[in-house]
Amino acid sequence: MAIRFEDVNEDLRRIVLSGRLDTAGSDEIARQFAELTQSAKGVVVYLSEVRFLSSMAIGVLIKGAKSVQAMGGRLALHVAENEVIIRTLESTGIDGLIPTFRDALDAERAVLK
Amino acid sequence: MSPSADQPLAALTIRADIRDARRASSWLESAALAENVPPEQVVRLDHCLDEALANVIRHGGPAALSSAVHLQFGVRRSAGARTAELSVSDGGVAFDPSTHDVFAPHPTSLADAMPGGLGLRLIRHCSDNLSYRHSQGRNHLTITVSWVDPA
Repeated sequence: MAIRFEDVNEDLRRIVLSGRLDTAGSDEIARQFAELTQSAKGVVVYLSEVRFLSSMAIGVLIKGAKSVQAMGGRLALHVAENEVIIRTLESTGIDGLIPTFRDALDAERAVLK
Repeated sequence: MSPSADQPLAALTIRADIRDARRASSWLESAALAENVPPEQVVRLDHCLDEALANVIRHGGPAALSSAVHLQFGVRRSAGARTAELSVSDGGVAFDPSTHDVFAPHPTSLADAMPGGLGLRLIRHCSDNLSYRHSQGRNHLTITVSWVDPA
């Protein structure tokens, strides 16, 4: 489980999550993720390298998306072809609340609109 | 765990502690792969275990945190199908997730979405059956996952 980020410019932040975001893993990244989403930037969260997404991890994503939205920004998810993660997001309905994209450029365009 | 399991049971006892949940996941993966459970079914079981243990730790109360959690795993074979059963026994507050309503409509906007409450939905989504009993002060939850066995 790891979290890293890159500020592409003043309007776009990329947050890359990887590994196992089970309950324990989500707990470990929650604080840093919250700090990185307290911004009015467009934020794309890359989930293509995540191999397990728990309900707590989804809660972390929801909190982050709300935080970005409250500051006037947008947050989107990039899932690539990660079918395990796509199924988890679909089963909880989160893909209908947070814009979710298989294509990274589409995700970045969505938060910059 | 069903006494009709074809294979010897695998068992593990852990603390109701988030750090032990990782150990439980590793144990489950090893036990399931030893029984040739397909990887996609292992993922389903792993999700159920992680969420079940999270519920015990978060909502089971002081009794849960001071009691051991007992896990058992086994696989049954029937005509054309195999069934994996994972049992989770804890000493927390009595709670039957098999009857809890998780099929309320999804929120329609981010503003309405709550960060919590998704664990039971994931357990129900990832399992084919849940059975529950409460006896001698302990919750006993059995999670069942089935798949077609081409052999």
